[in-house]
Amino acid sequence: MNEAQEITRILFQGFQTSSVYLFYVIGYTAIAIFLYGCYVQVRKYRRGQPDAAWGEFLARFWDMVKTMMTHRTIKRRDKAAGKAHAAIFFGFVLLFIGTATITLEYDILEPLFGITFWYGDFYLWFSLILDIAGVAAIAGLIYMMYRRKWLKLPKLDYTRPDREPGDPDYDRSAYRREDWAFLWVFIIILITGFLLEASRLIWLMEDPTVWEYRWWSPVGASIAHLFYGLGMGPEAAGDFRTGLWWFHGILALAFVALIPFTKVKHIFTASASLMFRDPMAGKRLPTVPEDQESIGVKTITDFTWKQLLNLDACTKCGRCHEACPANAVGAPLSPRDVILSLREFANNALEKKELPDEVELDVHGKDVGQVFMETLWSCRTCMACVEICPVAVEHVPIIVQMRRKLVDEGNMEPILQKTLQSVHKNGNSMGESKRKRARWTKELPFTIKDARKEPVDVMWFVGDYASFDPRNQVVTKSFAKLMKQAGVDFGLLYEAEMNAGNDIRRVGEEGLYEFLASNNISTLEQCEFNSIVTTDPHSFNTIRNEYPDFGGEFEIQHYTTVLKHLFEEGKLKIKKKLDYRVTFHDPCHLGRYNKGYDAPRELIEMIGCELVEMDRNRDNSFCCGAGGGRIWIPDPVGLEKPSENRIREAGAIDDLDVFIVSCPKDLTMFEDARKTAGFEDKFVVKELIELITECVEFDIEEPEDDDTAAA
Amino acid sequence: MKILVAVKEVASLDDDFEIRDDQLDVDEDFLLYELNEWDDFSLEEAMSIKERSDTEVEVVVVSVGPDRVEESLRKCLAKGADRAIRVWSDEMEGSDSITVGRILAAVAEQEKPDMIFAGVQSSDNADASTGIAIASYLNWPHTAVVAGLDYTPGANKATASRELEGGLGQEVEISCPAVLTIQLGINTPRYASLRGIKQAAAKPIDEVSLSDLGLSAEEVGADAAFSRVRRMYIPEKGMATMIEGTTAEQAAKLAQIIKEFKGEA
Ligand code: SF4
Ligand code: SF4
Repeated sequence: MNEAQEITRILFQGFQTSSVYLFYVIGYTAIAIFLYGCYVQVRKYRRGQPDAAWGEFLARFWDMVKTMMTHRTIKRRDKAAGKAHAAIFFGFVLLFIGTATITLEYDILEPLFGITFWYGDFYLWFSLILDIAGVAAIAGLIYMMYRRKWLKLPKLDYTRPDREPGDPDYDRSAYRREDWAFLWVFIIILITGFLLEASRLIWLMEDPTVWEYRWWSPVGASIAHLFYGLGMGPEAAGDFRTGLWWFHGILALAFVALIPFTKVKHIFTASASLMFRDPMAGKRLPTVPEDQESIGVKTITDFTWKQLLNLDACTKCGRCHEACPANAVGAPLSPRDVILSLREFANNALEKKELPDEVELDVHGKDVGQVFMETLWSCRTCMACVEICPVAVEHVPIIVQMRRKLVDEGNMEPILQKTLQSVHKNGNSMGESKRKRARWTKELPFTIKDARKEPVDVMWFVGDYASFDPRNQVVTKSFAKLMKQAGVDFGLLYEAEMNAGNDIRRVGEEGLYEFLASNNISTLEQCEFNSIVTTDPHSFNTIRNEYPDFGGEFEIQHYTTVLKHLFEEGKLKIKKKLDYRVTFHDPCHLGRYNKGYDAPRELIEMIGCELVEMDRNRDNSFCCGAGGGRIWIPDPVGLEKPSENRIREAGAIDDLDVFIVSCPKDLTMFEDARKTAGFEDKFVVKELIELITECVEFDIEEPEDDDTAAA
Repeated sequence: MKILVAVKEVASLDDDFEIRDDQLDVDEDFLLYELNEWDDFSLEEAMSIKERSDTEVEVVVVSVGPDRVEESLRKCLAKGADRAIRVWSDEMEGSDSITVGRILAAVAEQEKPDMIFAGVQSSDNADASTGIAIASYLNWPHTAVVAGLDYTPGANKATASRELEGGLGQEVEISCPAVLTIQLGINTPRYASLRGIKQAAAKPIDEVSLSDLGLSAEEVGADAAFSRVRRMYIPEKGMATMIEGTTAEQAAKLAQIIKEFKGEA
């Protein structure tokens, strides 16, 4: 047996002192370049506005570590890529820890305190683990190469839907080249590492402290045997090793030096982005302080440092690009490209020593790097992008902040202007008189309490579409009957209710939102009630998540939850089951925004329908296209509408009877799409409430055709 | 260099409304007030001249009316007007469009603008005469229904293109100062964001009364008006009916109606 101390790897074995010095000079230079790069990046972020994301530091940090360790976000909707990334990631982390351990002993503990530990069993296990790490990383990299070269994934196509072929920033081939450079450099570093290991083994094959333990480096040893078998002797191996050593070393150091300047920086930016993730991003948009002069984002420095960091975190994985309904129908918007555009803009403008003039910082416009107005207006704030981004890029607040500036400067469709003015004037988006808001109640066989005049248990916030739109009124009346049948003590705000403001806010008309929210809050505060119910997921979202910022703390539930409880408590009873084959469309504001995926499905099960899911369901639900104020802006003719795209998806289900929605805007959008996409005689579109009404036992029998007449 | 823009806060009707008991107007309760649509365009025209100009241009908006009018003036300020003037004294109640023209002319005499813009008409009364009345009281040249304008601030001439009946256009050269009444569609009015309107609340609105203008009570108000409303009412619905059916059926039906009308059937 050999002395444990002797079983190790002698660093710089066979090197002249001058070579060692040279290596250190190169090493320190690399570190200096790395640090300078980090400084430039941090300086860039610091040129943004303050952000409150530093709170709860430890919890956030822990959360980030968990996300990274489990690779939870990277595995979603692309398991293979997730696994490959995990292999590269963990391989890299282990190799990094390995190198750091050696540095710790050789450069710090040994020279300063004479402590050594990198020998014997520790060394052997160390060798084995790093060999495995190297193999894992290489395997991961090979898969990534295969994926890029042969899978032809649309999400990895960097051409932009918002630019024309021939525009200077259309195809983004530089990104492709960078991807490949990264893959190749990394894999070469790893492969040369193994070759070095092998050549060292052959070179020192006479030394039993090396050769006898060679199988602790299984990959190196196998290659060594191969090379030896091919005729490489110790001397040749020694020469080979010297040349390769420098090649490997310099490449690795160059890689380190370039981290802050290349996509590799996502190691840091993505982790930081995950750590500063705002779980409420998009669901609760940022408020604007009363005394703040300007609103929204005009220049790149109007973004907060966190948003600038978000831009750098994007790994171009394309998941948001793939999920975006605007992009899917050929609108000039891809959330990925908004992020990348702004990133390129920030890199050009903010990495310089001196900040350029204000005019050169304007992110709006038609120039290279600027974001088009049409791009911003194409967004439906459906949150599909934010929801799927593996590195917590928060697109929606970024887009809305930019829209706020567009609205402030009046850069919008004239028809949207009209709607906004009419919302201000009438308190609703339908251009209807305030007085008409509760007119639908007149057709009910009973009166609903006026919650402004008497206390109620449940306040029903109806919302614009449910109040004014004739097709939706059918549903609204049915819901009233269900509540009445269940004996719920409920009331309305009648004429005093205003548009809740959710979509106005997402348009970017913050002033009008403040007006609507504060009016509704003060009206609600003057009433006595215990909780709010609404059939409108949009109102639900803003009252639940955003009114608190304006002092309105209310308990609110979407009707699906309320009905579910009423059934469970036996207050509503089912008299017959339906044997329809149905599918369910998750409304963005109920599903992705507020995680209300289950209640509607449980209700569907209760009434006996056979639910066949569409491919894109729950968190991956495909927006009907109405969000973010887009319901007020006509979609361009000739392009497919998101709602038609969705209806076609449902159309692929065999023998579908009903396309179920649970949102007034969905009902409007899909009733339309069913006709324009030619599915009129294939299936019907119904609100879940309508199906439930068919099944529930009412004390007073309704005339049969009551609820279906207007449908 | 100054442009005076005369604006009006018009009443728009709620869906169902009632006529006042005295049958002279619609019950206040059913009225919603907003800035006259034409005035959005004339303000925009002034604003775009201001923004394109190398020399300093001041845009002043003026309106005759009670307190509530401030809201519309705020909107103009939010859109970028430099100053707003609200003219009111109780004696002005009941003024018709010509009398309002006289009041505005008095304001113009004090402000000494280089150009006055007004909307072609107001959407509530549709008299289309206020702008012209201003010109006549000032004895200034005027041109109406301007759908395109070429004017450099400070120049002593402007070229206006006008819309005439039958799709005709007319190009008019007019010496300045002048009064122009601006037609819809001449430009794209900007949007006044609500935040902008709120912030405009900080800008002062000059309040001017009868005496400030050197006018007497006899010159304004209902008694000075050249016209007065005698009755407001909802005309009976027309008698038109749509004749349905095939061409032959329609012809037969029509023939029968004519016969009935002639008393033959
Ligand atoms: S919110 Fe929806 S529409 Fe907007 S960019 Fe994201 S995915 Fe696209
Ligand atoms: S923003 Fe996020 S989801 Fe979109 S490409 Fe970048 S990393 Fe992927």
